[in-house]
Amino acid sequence: MTTLRTPRSLGKTAVTLVTGLVLAVLVVPIALTFVSSFAQSATGVVPTGFVTFEHWRTALGLTDVGARRGIGSGLWFSVLLATGGMVVNLVVGVPIAYALTRYEFRGREWLNTLAVLPLVPGIILGIAFLRTYPDNAGTAFGLVVGYALLKSPYMVLTVQSAFQSMDLRQLEESARSLGASWPRTFVTVIVPNARGGILAGSIITWTLAAAEFNFTYMVYTRGPKPFSLFLYENISRAPFLQSAAAISMYFCLVVAAILVLQTVGRHGFTTT
Amino acid sequence: MVAVELDGVGKTYGDEVAVEALDLTVADGEILGVVGPSGCGKTTTLRTIAGFETPTAGRVRFADEDVTHVPPERRNVGLVFQSYALFDNMSVLANVAFGPKMQGVEKAERRDRAMELLELLDIAELADRAPETLSGGQQQRVGLARALAIEPNILLLDEPMTGLDAKLKDRLRREIGSLLDELGVTALYVTHDQEEAMAMCDRIAVLNDGRLEQVGTPREIYESPANEFVAGFVGSANLLDAQLDDGTVDLGFARLDAVADDTSGDATVVVRPDDIVTLLSRHRTDARAFEAFQAPPREEASS
Repeated sequence: MTTLRTPRSLGKTAVTLVTGLVLAVLVVPIALTFVSSFAQSATGVVPTGFVTFEHWRTALGLTDVGARRGIGSGLWFSVLLATGGMVVNLVVGVPIAYALTRYEFRGREWLNTLAVLPLVPGIILGIAFLRTYPDNAGTAFGLVVGYALLKSPYMVLTVQSAFQSMDLRQLEESARSLGASWPRTFVTVIVPNARGGILAGSIITWTLAAAEFNFTYMVYTRGPKPFSLFLYENISRAPFLQSAAAISMYFCLVVAAILVLQTVGRHGFTTT
Repeated sequence: MVAVELDGVGKTYGDEVAVEALDLTVADGEILGVVGPSGCGKTTTLRTIAGFETPTAGRVRFADEDVTHVPPERRNVGLVFQSYALFDNMSVLANVAFGPKMQGVEKAERRDRAMELLELLDIAELADRAPETLSGGQQQRVGLARALAIEPNILLLDEPMTGLDAKLKDRLRREIGSLLDELGVTALYVTHDQEEAMAMCDRIAVLNDGRLEQVGTPREIYESPANEFVAGFVGSANLLDAQLDDGTVDLGFARLDAVADDTSGDATVVVRPDDIVTLLSRHRTDARAFEAFQAPPREEASS
């Protein structure tokens, strides 16, 4: 008699298959795009003529064509803008998430709503900014504030869920009874224990801010070109391979940011 | 010498009274148990001593110093929670050394002190582990070591054994009891488990509805309960209605000599199960209910 496969192992196989399929669907286009960006031509199914850095150079603004449309110094500018937005969210969002989780206070519901409210389309916030601050909306400062506001719910919600899984009150009271002042308790005990959530929130707010198009497009007027606008121009108006280079650049940037943030997360919280 | 004194301490939240005019002292080196049903005010009492609640009436004193408005971080009070509340971002050793670090003790010295305590609690080999990898009993030991590391004025234990299984609880209870005695630590032990309090504490305070019903040694509380509530809450008891009159207690089915004969009126007689001795009667059929009372009841409480 043959033994029937148990439903459990069948389920495991199914889950593995589906996961594999989804991963393939997601990863293959990205990998293909990345590889293509180094090819000379991609007229057929398989790109040919490896390896050239021409498209990357063009996208980076190092060639004659690219000087007009390339990113150049805008790349670093964008990294700074996204980092600025993330830092604002860390400084403001983490304490808000803490207060929402730890304390019962008047207006708690209002604050909760307010923290999630900016989850509006960037285009609406962009219009609001232009109307309210016509002179400052397009500056670096305006962009940082806009990014921070637009992405703050991701920070607050992620960190809040990390705090909710901790026994905040008892942790805090243990530390204080041991002689730590409240600010010291917050920095040495509360924040490090929520590092997973804070890290996730930082990564999400950073990558989303780096790619935020709608808001940037609405308010941008002058100065170095933010990355999302550069992406837009390269994707909508440039040949495929140059777009591929631009998109690959974005992926490299995101991977680099995640690596940096994770390293900071692992080593930046140690207290001895 | 008195280590901690609560002098007429009251705490109200709006209209709700958590603790009312509480007078309680903990002597130096004593383990005082605080028992009572949930919502009786025992946790509020503990948090008031720790400084996390400011009383709405009365004073809190440590030795002779008034600490009513001193913030928790300057009271030097050790806290042990049911949920352990260890700092998962630090090693076991760093957890224990945290308090001395806040006190400004030098690195090498606080390390030594922490190691010493871990050895005392028999968990020295766990020093470099992460707290989340430990079992419940081990975590509780770390929590205790961490609280003891600051050489606290008073150690406050809030239901420290509740999360542990019965066998472990029994062992830990004995170990901790003798350790606290050995170190001469002053402690307040809050628990809903009166049996635990009986086993571990020098004296027990019974709280109900925010009021102190009685405070005394486990023996006093058990044998001479101040009122029906204490009698019913601590250990099992038979509560019998009776009439007290002229030196006799009339139970309706039997009459007994009263312990104190200067009162009369309605009374409740407390009979502990271990006071009851069944006699092997040769005339079983003639046995009467009152034969059960070999020893006279030890206390009557007027109601």
